[in-house]
Amino acid sequence: MGLVDIVKKGTFVDILRGMSVTGTYFVVDKVTVEYPKEKLHPYPRFRGVQALLTDPETGDTKCVACMLCATICPSRCISIVGEQTPDGRSHPAGFDLDLSRCVFCGFCEEVCPEAAIVMTRQYELATFDKNDLYLDKERLLANQVYAHKELFAHPGERGAPAPAAAGAAPGTQEGRRP
Amino acid sequence: MSDPIAQLIFLIVKAILLPVLIVLFVAFVIYFERKFAGFFQARVGPTYLGPWGSLQSFGDIFKLMSKEDVTPARADKPVFKLAPYIAFIPAFLVMAVLPFGPVGGEPNLFGYRFDYVIANFDAGLVLFLAMCALGVYGVVLAGWSSNSNYSLLGGLRAGAQMISYELAMGFSVVGVMLMAGSMSLVDIVDRQAGNFWDWYFIPQIVGAVIFFIASIAELNRTPFDLAEAEQELVAGHLTEYSGMRWGMFYFAEYVNLVVVSAIVSTLYLGGWRAPLEVLDFIPGPIWLFLKICVLIFLYMWIRWTIFRYRYNQLMSIGWKVLLPLSIANLAVTAVVVSLVG
Repeated sequence: MGLVDIVKKGTFVDILRGMSVTGTYFVVDKVTVEYPKEKLHPYPRFRGVQALLTDPETGDTKCVACMLCATICPSRCISIVGEQTPDGRSHPAGFDLDLSRCVFCGFCEEVCPEAAIVMTRQYELATFDKNDLYLDKERLLANQVYAHKELFAHPGERGAPAPAAAGAAPGTQEGRRP
Repeated sequence: MSDPIAQLIFLIVKAILLPVLIVLFVAFVIYFERKFAGFFQARVGPTYLGPWGSLQSFGDIFKLMSKEDVTPARADKPVFKLAPYIAFIPAFLVMAVLPFGPVGGEPNLFGYRFDYVIANFDAGLVLFLAMCALGVYGVVLAGWSSNSNYSLLGGLRAGAQMISYELAMGFSVVGVMLMAGSMSLVDIVDRQAGNFWDWYFIPQIVGAVIFFIASIAELNRTPFDLAEAEQELVAGHLTEYSGMRWGMFYFAEYVNLVVVSAIVSTLYLGGWRAPLEVLDFIPGPIWLFLKICVLIFLYMWIRWTIFRYRYNQLMSIGWKVLLPLSIANLAVTAVVVSLVG
């Protein structure tokens, strides 16, 4: 043990340096998010619970019951019953999604040619009742309120939803980022 | 009312009031330990119960009381049940010799003399050392009687650790004893009268640092919490304890923390005396309380900064560094005191 080492240990240099680090943490802003009171706002590409979007012009669902999402779904949690509307359009009579089986992979959103089914930012899905995890068409349509605002930027546009910009539109930024 | 009767009444009042106040204080020390643990890690600590979570300790006490008190089937039952009390009581006994204000002099309360100490005992320092040694029995007996490998190892470690650090602690205290020429804590505080540069932490800086380090080991706090090293021993001597029996160990630890902080401030930081003579108008108990708070904060800061030493490091610090240093400190103090005084 050299002289420098002895002086270092005798004056507690390392310990004081460590204490200055913790002392700094003592005064800085805390990282804790007190969850129920304060919520993190997920990024736009976050994959929360699905929603079925409606066409703002007709007020009806955009879905044309093409069965692509039901086909690609790896966990087979989507089941659709199609029907013909009087004007000859294809239309889902029933659209059921079993959240207890969903893996939130987002394939349904990617494959949808009408941008009718989208993943939303809603992540608070815990429930005491298993039936709450079985989403029918009405509840999927009601989930639209959680959908990203930029999905509605170009109403009526066919194809995939507009790619979410790195910084989404202002006004959607309420709450803290993770 | 004659003076002896008044003194007896004062004694009873002090003997009831002081432990009650310290127990209440300890409840908040536990809260602040958790709060500051959060702060030192950039978290917020308890926030729910009471304003800023300040009633958390009382919630914990209710929780612990409502929990089942499990006694292992193969435990040595009488000893197992006795051990928490053995850990608990010595911590309280030290309070008796702790001066928290002026002692002796003119009548100062209703025409009677009120001494701010429960027992003006000539060998208070020895009582403190003895009670420190006795408190270890609680840990060792808890470890032995639990009939569990982890508990036994924890108890053995605590025993060995206390023996190693008690020596250094004792020798560093003798330096103060020589300077004050007394073993009474009341006399030691009286000899530190004046401003803060008259306190013993300046001439006895080596002794003070050694005493402080040894007291961390005596308190079983990180970085010397080998007795309950979670990663190796589950919870050491506390492994088999549950409910309020566990709570009593936990509580005793913090009562010890308060008492040892009070002893450190009495020996080295002027006890209840104000840091400057002009501040003497503020009563002594408040100064003692402030010093205790500062020391407790320091103990917490150290606990949440430094991680645990390995067992051989603990032993080599105790025997190879602190003990020789404290003996050297004692020798130098003895020479200087005999030459000057």
